[in-house]
This record gives sequence, structure tokens and C-alpha cells, in this order.
Amino acid sequence: MQVAVVGSGLAGFTAYQTLRRELEPGEIAVFGTDDDPAATFRRRAAAIRQRDMRSESDGHCGPKSFPGLAFRATVGRRSPAPLVGSLCDRFHPTVREFLAHVERLRARSGWDTSLHSERIERVRAVDGGFELDGHGVFRHVLVAPGHPGLNVPDELRADPRTGHAYEPHEYAPTVTVVGAGLAAATEWLNALEAGAEVVSVRRREPVRRPLNVPREYFSRRGLAGFHRLSAGERAERLKVLLAPSYPPGRRWDEPLARAMMEGRFRVEHTVNGARQVICATGFLHGFRHDTLLARLVDEHELETAGDWIVLNTDGSVPALTDATRTLALCGVPAQWAFPAADTVPGAKYAAHGFLARIRSCPTR
Amino acid sequence: MSYTLRGRLESRLAGLAPVVAAACVLAAAEHRWWPVEAVGLMLGAGITLDVLAYDRLLRYQPGWAAAPLGLLELGVVLLLMRVAGVMAPVWQAVALFAGGWLAAQALGHAGFPLLRLTYAEDGGELGRLGAATAVAVGVVLAGAGATAYALRPPVVHLAAGVHQGPLVITRREVLVGEPGAVVRGGIVIRASGVTVKNVTVVGGENGITVNGVRDTVLDGVSVSGPKLDGIHVRLSGIVIKNCTIDMLGNALGQGIDISYNMDKGMSMVEGCTIVGGMEGITTHGSMSDIMDNSVSRTTMRGISVTEMSMGMVMDNEVRDARGIGIWCNDRSMCMIERNTVLDTRPDAMGHAYGVLASFQSEANLWENELGANPVASAAISQSEVQSSRSFSYR
Repeated sequence: MQVAVVGSGLAGFTAYQTLRRELEPGEIAVFGTDDDPAATFRRRAAAIRQRDMRSESDGHCGPKSFPGLAFRATVGRRSPAPLVGSLCDRFHPTVREFLAHVERLRARSGWDTSLHSERIERVRAVDGGFELDGHGVFRHVLVAPGHPGLNVPDELRADPRTGHAYEPHEYAPTVTVVGAGLAAATEWLNALEAGAEVVSVRRREPVRRPLNVPREYFSRRGLAGFHRLSAGERAERLKVLLAPSYPPGRRWDEPLARAMMEGRFRVEHTVNGARQVICATGFLHGFRHDTLLARLVDEHELETAGDWIVLNTDGSVPALTDATRTLALCGVPAQWAFPAADTVPGAKYAAHGFLARIRSCPTR
Repeated sequence: MSYTLRGRLESRLAGLAPVVAAACVLAAAEHRWWPVEAVGLMLGAGITLDVLAYDRLLRYQPGWAAAPLGLLELGVVLLLMRVAGVMAPVWQAVALFAGGWLAAQALGHAGFPLLRLTYAEDGGELGRLGAATAVAVGVVLAGAGATAYALRPPVVHLAAGVHQGPLVITRREVLVGEPGAVVRGGIVIRASGVTVKNVTVVGGENGITVNGVRDTVLDGVSVSGPKLDGIHVRLSGIVIKNCTIDMLGNALGQGIDISYNMDKGMSMVEGCTIVGGMEGITTHGSMSDIMDNSVSRTTMRGISVTEMSMGMVMDNEVRDARGIGIWCNDRSMCMIERNTVLDTRPDAMGHAYGVLASFQSEANLWENELGANPVASAAISQSEVQSSRSFSYR
């Protein structure tokens, strides 16, 4: 076996679907701790009571962009509405549809055959490839470690009222939600719907945009310029692009406006005396928070820029990739190559690049 | 999709490939070049808009935008076809464009993503496939252009002066009269693909006779003093434009008579001035558009569309006809728009109509000026005159 995927979450799963275009399940080893690739996502979506995906028709795990989830929903619902909605960028699959789609792909792709329930904590470059924590040497390795952990602001960590949005919770009569992204916006509406009085605490006004990053950054149109930036400029650009955001639209604005008029929703700059504090503050950020990546950088003296490992445009690690072997990152740590790397299309982008490297490898 | 410029161009060229193939087949089947010319214009207009407008204005193009952009391009292509003088049946040209648009949508949304794994993230670029398709489309269109150029009919110049006729044309050619070129005794066209330009014809049985051929163009001809008709067309597809026909003194001949060419597609009479004769312009069993002509002083009808003919009668001026200015007769279907009919004189029965529909015909009238006639319009013998705009080329 020459190809390994480290990480069995959605990013690893999506990459696996692309690899399966050319490789048999027996030719790919997936290392991870969850049998269910959507387990983490399922848990977090349930915690914030997410019903619809932010992503659109393209946000599916299959290797090609067609047929997308809108086409499948049109067939499944026997209604043209999803396709029409997709033409107008207004189609968002439900979480249930997305999870069912993952389940179907898992069953038919051979995922369970390839999966090894092992946690990999060290990837070491050796002759002819990479040694994975005592589980063998692989010529081509894709590392999809996922988010390194939930982020809770230091000043709130010891506060007994505090919980993270992505952990299971109910709502107290007064709730402070810290953050300004999609999870925060979802929690505002959830708490209001539960009858709570809500205070939004945020450092900056939320950016309103349909997807995580502007749409042109999902294709070469925006990426070409992004890839031309120097390391410092790219790090700055990433800070701007990855600022917390949630989609525009009445679905979000109307309940907030109504609650504001009723005096049940307001914005403040500091946490006050609310009985519950929900941190919708996303995830820990940077390779240093991830044991595997931190060790990889230290042991191989990889080039970094701020919180990011410097990558090639296809997500591969320059110092550890050549014509005969590939080490590539997928998911959040690949944002250096693809700003929306923590989305399903982002995982596909990294997987496409990884597959192209495998194809061109003379010793494959 | 956020297209790169290269992605736009490659997707457009590859999306056009099926239309290029269809146009070549259509051109071969119809023995006409307009499908290939139309596709060439579609390509040119599309690439120009891609480079100058779409790439600059649209950082991201949602799926729905394909509809208004498609309509814009259709308008541009039809305009270019008109300017370039591409003689195409309008609805066939629209159908060709619509087919191309649908094929491009199907390929862009489904075909290309299936063919190329990274189609979306590459901004519509198709890699080698894109380059190969671009070359193929270019080669086909260039080949078609070269073939069309090689097959151009020879141009024959008719020198100034009087040439004794009848002049019989038996091969495909373009006959161009120098200023002062006159043919005495008429012209007879017996080959398809003949164009006659700027020639004056005097006398003859008919001024110009066109019989059993296709793709004839008469442009800027002048006819006077024929024994029978000024221009006499039978079983032939024809375009007549900018002609002058003097039929004064000929009480029985027609200025232009186009008959029995329903199977030859649309014919056209445009921008002609006809004086005298029994009927100025008449069609029998024909699909013809009669536009922007001036007809006056006929001994009977000004314009007649009869014997199951179909077509537009638009923007004409008919003066001083006798009995009927514009006649839609004998199970014909006529779209009569924006014509001016003046001073129609009563015939032997004492009738004088601006427009008359008779014998199970349907005439659709819109914005005509018919007031200066004893009866503006009428329908008789199971015919119908409607005053609504149901259809127009313009």
C-alpha cells in the first residue's frame, strides 16, 4: 500500500472519495479514531441545532461537482425547487440530507475496508515515503487532522457559566453569546426561540457573506492572485478572509430585528451578568495546537508563516514533496493553499491536487 | 461559477462544438452557408463579450445569469447577422442559437464537471481538452470559411452601354452592372446562386425572369417597359431589394410577381419603387416578406398576397391603387403592419378598400394608416381582420 490518509473526519472522507476514482479500497489506508466520518460534524451540528448547511449544491463529498446535492434533492424530493434554488444560489441542503449523502458514500465507497482505527501522532519522512507512527511507510500521505480543539477565550475559561456552542447545551433565561460567525448567529436565533433574552458580545461587526470566503476564492479566478502574494501578505489576507461571517438574508435579520424591538436582543462589548455564556468562538487556530503538525514542523524544520505551515498551491508540503513522494495537508491546515480549506469543496481541492501528484509519480 | 478568462473562453469554445457540428450538417443539408456564418458570428460575439465585458464585470456568475446573458448575445448575433447581410430564416437562426445555448448549459453544469475533475475549481478551464476543442472549432470554422471563399461565385462586370438581350444566365455568378449598363430585351436566370446588381433592364417579355432556381438576389436593378411582368419569379427562392420598376403604360403586367415557391423558404421584396402595372407586388402560393416598398398608380391592387401565401407586409406605401390597396386573399395569412395606403380609387364595382381580406384569409393589422380611403379595411367571404399585434420580426 502506498497511499495513506491521516484523519477520518469529513475532510479525510472527502479526500478518500476522490482517491477512490483511481485506487481500490485495498490500496488506501485511512487512519482515524471515528468509524463514522461525520461523527464530529454531526455532534457539532446537533449542538447548535443546525438544520441547513451553509454550503450549497457543491458541498458534497463526491469527487466531481456534478451531480450536486441540488440535483440529488430534486430527484429525492421530486420537485424542481432545489435545482431552481441552486441556479439562484439559494439552495442549501438540509443537514439531514447531507448526512444521508455521507452515509450512502460511506457504504458504497469501501471506506470501512480502508479504515484503520488508529490515532497517528507522528509522521516522519524516511527513504521512499513517510513512516506513520509505527504503522508502516507510505509513499503518498494526506494529513487531514481537523480542527485542533474548541476555542474559549482565556478570560472565560474558568467561568462556571461558560460553555462552547459546539458542546451540548440548553438555554438559560438570559444568555450571552460570544462571537460573530455562523455558530453565533445560529445561537442567537436558537436562544431567542427558546424564550431567552440574548446579549451578543463581539469584538467586531460580523461580515455578511453567503459562504465562508468570497466566492471567487473557490476557483482559480481568486486563487491565482492569492497564490501570488508573498508569505506575509498571504497571512494578512487570510486574516481578512477568515474573519467570522454569516450569510445575509431575512432569515437571520427578521428574528433579530423583532427581538431587538421587544428588548430581548442587544449587542454589548463585554460579558455581563447573564446566567449563561455561550462561546461561539470557533476553534483553536494554528498548527502549534495540533500535536502531529507541531511535531512535523519541528522535526523537519518546515517553513511556516505565523500560524500556518507554508504549502505549495496544491496543499503539498514543499520540503517533503518531490517527484517520488507526497506529503499534503487537507482541511483547516491547508488554508495556506485554499482559504476555504475547512469546507467540503476545500477538502476536494486538496484531494484533487494530491491525486494529481500520485498520478504523476513515476514509481506509483 | 467564478470563471477565469481562459476558463470562459475554453468553456465557450467547447460548448459551441456541438453547434458547430450541427451548423455544418444543416449547411450541407440546405446547401446554404448561413448556419456556419451564424455560428461564426455567435463565436465572435461571445468571445468579444467574454473578453471585454463578462470577465471584467462578473467576478462570480450565478447560474441564473446565463438566461439574460443568453438573450443579450442572441440580440447581438441577430443584429450582426442583419448588418453582415447573412440571409437566414429568423426562426431557424433563433433555434440554432437556442440549441447552442442549451447545449452549453448542459455541458457547463454537467458535462464538463463529469469530464474534468477540477472543472469548477479551475474556473472553467478544460486543460488539454479545452485546447483541443478550441483548435477543432477554429479549424472547422476556418475550413468552412475557406471553402465558402473558394466557392464564391465569379463576378462578371457588365460594362456601361446598351447590351442586347435577352441575357440568359446559366451558371452561378454575380453580375454587376457598371454605371450606365443597360440590357435591352430582358434577363433570364436559369441557375441557382445568381446575384444581379445595379443593372438596368429595358423591355423584354418579362424584365427579369427567374424560374426554378434558388438563392437568387436582385439588388439595385431597374426595369422598365416589359411586355408582361417587371420581375417574374416562379418556383424560385429570391431576395429583391432596392429595385425600381416602371410599368406605366402596361395595364396587365405585374411589377413583381412571385409565385409557387412555398418550398423554397422565405423570399423578400424590400426597398423597391414600383409605378404602374396591374398589381404592384403580388405573391401566389408563396412565403414572402414585403417591406419598405413604394407602390403607386396601379390599374388594380397595390400589393396582393394570395393563393395560400404567408408573410409580412410592412412599412410599405401604396398610393392611387384601384379597388384594393393591400389584398390578403384566398386562404392567405398576412401580417400587415405600419403601412400607409392612400387614395385608393373605386373599381368597376365601385369598391375601394385600404385593406381587404377575402375568401377565408386572415389579416392581422397593426398601426397602418388607412384613413384616406373610402373603406379603410374590411373582411369578406369568411375572412378575418384582426387588429392586434400577434407577431413581428421587428
